[in-house]
Amino acid sequence: MPFFEWLRSNSERYLLEAAQHDMAARYGIEAPAPRGSVFWRRIFTPLYRLLPWGLRRAIMSAMPGSHRRWMRRAPP
Amino acid sequence: MPRRIVVVGGGAAGIGAAGAAKQTNPGAQVTVFTEFEDVGYSPCGIPYVHGREIPTFEQLFLATKETYDEAGIDIRYETRVERLDPTAHEVHVEGDGAVGYDALIVATGFEYADPGVPGSDLEGLHYVKNIRRAMEWDPVLEEAKVAVVVEATPLGLEMVTALAHRGLETHLVDPRPWALAEVADPDIMQPVQDSWADMGVKMHFNTPVEAFVGDGKVRAVRTPEEELPADLVVICTHKRPNNRLAREAGIKIGSTGGIIVDQRMHTLTEGVFAAGDCTEIPHGVTKVPIQGLSGSHAYAQGKVAGTTAGGGDRAYNPVDVPWGMVAGKWMIGGVSFGETTASALKFPYVMGVAEGISRARYYPDMKKIRVKLLADPGTHRLLGAQMVGGEGIKERADFLAMAVRKGVTLEDLATMENVYSPPIGALNEPISLAAQNALAGTKG
Repeated sequence: MPFFEWLRSNSERYLLEAAQHDMAARYGIEAPAPRGSVFWRRIFTPLYRLLPWGLRRAIMSAMPGSHRRWMRRAPP
Repeated sequence: MPRRIVVVGGGAAGIGAAGAAKQTNPGAQVTVFTEFEDVGYSPCGIPYVHGREIPTFEQLFLATKETYDEAGIDIRYETRVERLDPTAHEVHVEGDGAVGYDALIVATGFEYADPGVPGSDLEGLHYVKNIRRAMEWDPVLEEAKVAVVVEATPLGLEMVTALAHRGLETHLVDPRPWALAEVADPDIMQPVQDSWADMGVKMHFNTPVEAFVGDGKVRAVRTPEEELPADLVVICTHKRPNNRLAREAGIKIGSTGGIIVDQRMHTLTEGVFAAGDCTEIPHGVTKVPIQGLSGSHAYAQGKVAGTTAGGGDRAYNPVDVPWGMVAGKWMIGGVSFGETTASALKFPYVMGVAEGISRARYYPDMKKIRVKLLADPGTHRLLGAQMVGGEGIKERADFLAMAVRKGVTLEDLATMENVYSPPIGALNEPISLAAQNALAGTKG
């Protein structure tokens, strides 16, 4: 798998799992047992959460993808 | 010489593209290659035929093969494209060799993610995608007693509801803590799960599938806790872009695995357009590219690609993704994102929630509606919404999608006017109540 797909796929998975864990606690639902890579769960996710939103957005915007060619809405 | 437009794929995007290309440029030679036996039907309706809400599969066909002949669109059924050659402006077709084009539209759709566990090749595992396979498989449901649905994706929700409606003992197995957990919030899904329990559905959350068990044909699904007997299994894993041809041709792919396109659905390769589930499109709020949208998105993207490929000019917008569906005995829906996704991204937001009703309190069949709004903490512009209710969800989701697109604020929504008529609308609009609650929250 190419690097950016690997990065997106893993970051999406582990950030969502962490959010689901938080939401489960907030709504009184049984949380899933931690699964998968320690790096993504214990290092990447807390680090991502520490960054300010502006920096997180800048990093995401810098990744290759359709968004780099198309940042504004089409004219009516 | 007429402009030669080749479309690879006969789903919503491919057919939308072919029709728009022909409309834009009636003299164009438009050819569609599809591996399947049919085009012009609604695959999204398949779960409802399985569930017997719709009597026959034939009702899902929207157009006949003659319709496309009469429109001047040349559709090559059951024809596999082996290779794309953008340098030579050709596609290589099994049995036919090279076919030249002036514009190529890639609309190769999606494939389900491989469950990646032993037994994935057993007979009795069903993937809902092609109508002919669904027709062949449907009689199995007459004999079956126990069904297992793997993963509570949107299709998973529809299939659980359909199979339970059909009277099968239905199990749902999902590794996440609630249904549709990658999209919807737990409070939105709780009424759905309660209604499934009423319908006899057995839910197994926080439960990964370890293997499909059987001897040639599946007879059970193994999880860490138990082995669930199964006469049939419906696999509803995530939709992944079907981009083998594009990758091999060197067409640029984004981080989602979808083809990179611009607002006119042009790829980074000259003369090649793409549309539908094989592409990635920027989200209107986060600007992050996303992939795996709905049939209506695919069709609209196809229209843009076809128009542009035909020589016209049409652009597509970033997507705010209004969504809605029936699950269990409820309707659920929303726009953009809810708390779960915002929490995953750590996207800053303020939130308001309200419980309202769909008709006057005294009017028969009045239904409850729960509305949750997320807004920017500084500007109060609407960022997203989620809803569950007995009726009126789709219309509210469409309205809220436009509200997100146009930058409507909580203040706007809190003071919105609304229709009041006892059979169709209550005195207080739940969206307005949720906005008022959000504003009250921001004032501490």
